[in-house]
Amino acid sequence: MSRAAPILGRFRYGYVAPAALLVAVLLYAPFVWTAYLSLTRYDGLEPPVWVGLANFAKLFDDAALITSTRNTLIWVIGTMVLPVGLGLLVAVLSYDIRGGAWYRVPFMLPYALSGAGLAMVWSPILSHDGIANLLLGVDTAFLQEEPVNTFAMLAVWTWQQLGVNTLLFVVGLQSIPKEPIEAARLDGASGWRLFRHVIWPLMRPLTAVVVGLALVSSLKTFDIVWVLTQGGPGRNSETLAVTMYKETFVASDYGYGSAVAVMLTVVTGLASYLYLRRQVTAT
Amino acid sequence: MYRSRVATLGVAALVLAACGGNGAEAPQKKTELTLYNDKGAWTKYFDEMGALSKQSIGLGMKPTGYTDSAQYQAFIKASFRTDVKPDLFTWQTGGMLEEIVKQKQVAETTAIWQEAIKAGDLSQDLAPYYTIGGKQYCVPMNVAYWGMFYNKKIFDQYDLKPPQTWDDLVKTAETLKQNGVKAFYHTSVLFSFVWFEQLMAGTDPDLYDRLSTGKAKYTDPGVVQVMERWKQLIDAGYFINPGDKTDPGDVLKTGKAAMVSFGTWFNTSMTTRSMKAGTHYDFFVIPNVNAALPKTSMIFESGPLCSLTKAADPDASMKYLKWWTGSEAQDKWAKSRGDVSANPKVTIDDKVLGTVTKDAGSGKYRLVNRYFEATPPPILTAALDGFSKFVTEPGSYKEVLETIQKAADEYWSTHQ
Repeated sequence: MSRAAPILGRFRYGYVAPAALLVAVLLYAPFVWTAYLSLTRYDGLEPPVWVGLANFAKLFDDAALITSTRNTLIWVIGTMVLPVGLGLLVAVLSYDIRGGAWYRVPFMLPYALSGAGLAMVWSPILSHDGIANLLLGVDTAFLQEEPVNTFAMLAVWTWQQLGVNTLLFVVGLQSIPKEPIEAARLDGASGWRLFRHVIWPLMRPLTAVVVGLALVSSLKTFDIVWVLTQGGPGRNSETLAVTMYKETFVASDYGYGSAVAVMLTVVTGLASYLYLRRQVTAT
Repeated sequence: MYRSRVATLGVAALVLAACGGNGAEAPQKKTELTLYNDKGAWTKYFDEMGALSKQSIGLGMKPTGYTDSAQYQAFIKASFRTDVKPDLFTWQTGGMLEEIVKQKQVAETTAIWQEAIKAGDLSQDLAPYYTIGGKQYCVPMNVAYWGMFYNKKIFDQYDLKPPQTWDDLVKTAETLKQNGVKAFYHTSVLFSFVWFEQLMAGTDPDLYDRLSTGKAKYTDPGVVQVMERWKQLIDAGYFINPGDKTDPGDVLKTGKAAMVSFGTWFNTSMTTRSMKAGTHYDFFVIPNVNAALPKTSMIFESGPLCSLTKAADPDASMKYLKWWTGSEAQDKWAKSRGDVSANPKVTIDDKVLGTVTKDAGSGKYRLVNRYFEATPPPILTAALDGFSKFVTEPGSYKEVLETIQKAADEYWSTHQ
């Protein structure tokens, strides 16, 4: 055994310290501060006033929060069905065909846009005088009517996210060993049966990652909603992240905004934990 | 070994001292000031002012413009607690100004006001908007009077004249409707309050003032009637769709709507679109809904330009604010934007705006503080959300008023 090992062992915390310090200062300290603010009344100027759990009690009596929780739920379910589900479909359909990579290119391109950029592109398309109404020959208030506006934004989100989900699923398909598939084919399995009983179970680790990422990103949906509707009209297209921003920075109610942030963190943490635990148990 | 450690510690201490400072340093002498503002679209005009001030008083000015008002306000409030402080910044009058003055963050400008009023560079009528606890804070960056901009070609085409009464205005809207033209612009984003304040001020300006101070409720019959009138106008089909994202400047230019109600600063949108006052567009003061009122109510706004008590170079900041109120600066500021000025000595090229400004200062109108400044921020936030819901679902007016009143009750329970 090398002599360096015990020395390295003795100083190992020293090596970790700078990174740990950065994480503590930049990630955990703001979180603790936010958690503290959620228990205060604070307008960003006068010193915070301790109000205990009053902000959390208000959460249950806030109609806007009920709407934004409902919308966030639509985003979560919609993301699972559309960008993730369609991503899997495109990956599977384009995987084993000649020139499949080229079919996937158009789906990949929108991923290069940021959420805000994406919204800027779609704003004139979905607005009342926009191209969508013109092309479809309808008179729909895509960004105004509730919950049509949430579905419309979800469609835009799908347009962007489909490519990356497809790519991840393709990577998953490529990582499957050839032998079990060939063995299944020799046994007469093909099509849906082959996918359902052989390919899908083998892709499970990758699916866990894709779904986990989609779950977290849909829970914190902000930029696309903020740029397209600012959570309106009224507050009917707000998500929890938009409510948090509006309460904090638009209404200058930093205490209540922090309470929404804490709630969102707990929901995201809990959903991720439950989902990942289920995946671990299943594998 | 020991020496090298001591040396290292010494160097570290020096670096820390250099980074930290002790807060008791002598004020810097600045030759260029930073001006943070929430008018990102006006950067060109601020730059021109910076070049002129450099020439005139040896103090340059570099603008940093935000386009998102919420982000801007959060930044300014956060800057109070850090060393990254703007030398000058724009803000809002009313509750927003009172809020930061109470925190002793804003430099007093009483001396500048007294001198400017004596020299005729500022009007005494404007002072109350900048007075808190008997002292003045900030100076007017701009003033604006609200009225109706209209597409002159459309008016000429249907032989329409600027209305003298509210009934005339409705008749004009009806004529336009009969000819397939939308009369009015409105929106569900940010400026959703425009028609509420106009109808309130033109119906019962006292009630409007009482609403602003928490002495009346949004659910009072007078307010409900105003919302019902507003609903009637929407139901009659006089407005464009509030979800239309066309810039209001383009709405007027293309004739998508024949009339757009905004402050005189909207003139800048016209001039940047190569539209000529009197030829392509014009402006009229909106008549009162209630013809029995002694004076025509006119919405008024003024945006302050402020300096901090703990500015890096307080003398330079004060010198700049003083210069800003003078004729030379205001002449340039008004002319470059094609807008009115807070300085009564400045003549305005646009004939109609010149007359409005003159009449506004003569007491012909009852000036009513714009809803955006008159309403405390937490109520305003609820109201903007509420009106944006109302314009898309006019039937929701009672629910909207109740929601705003809920926010008002919460606010006034701790602020009366």
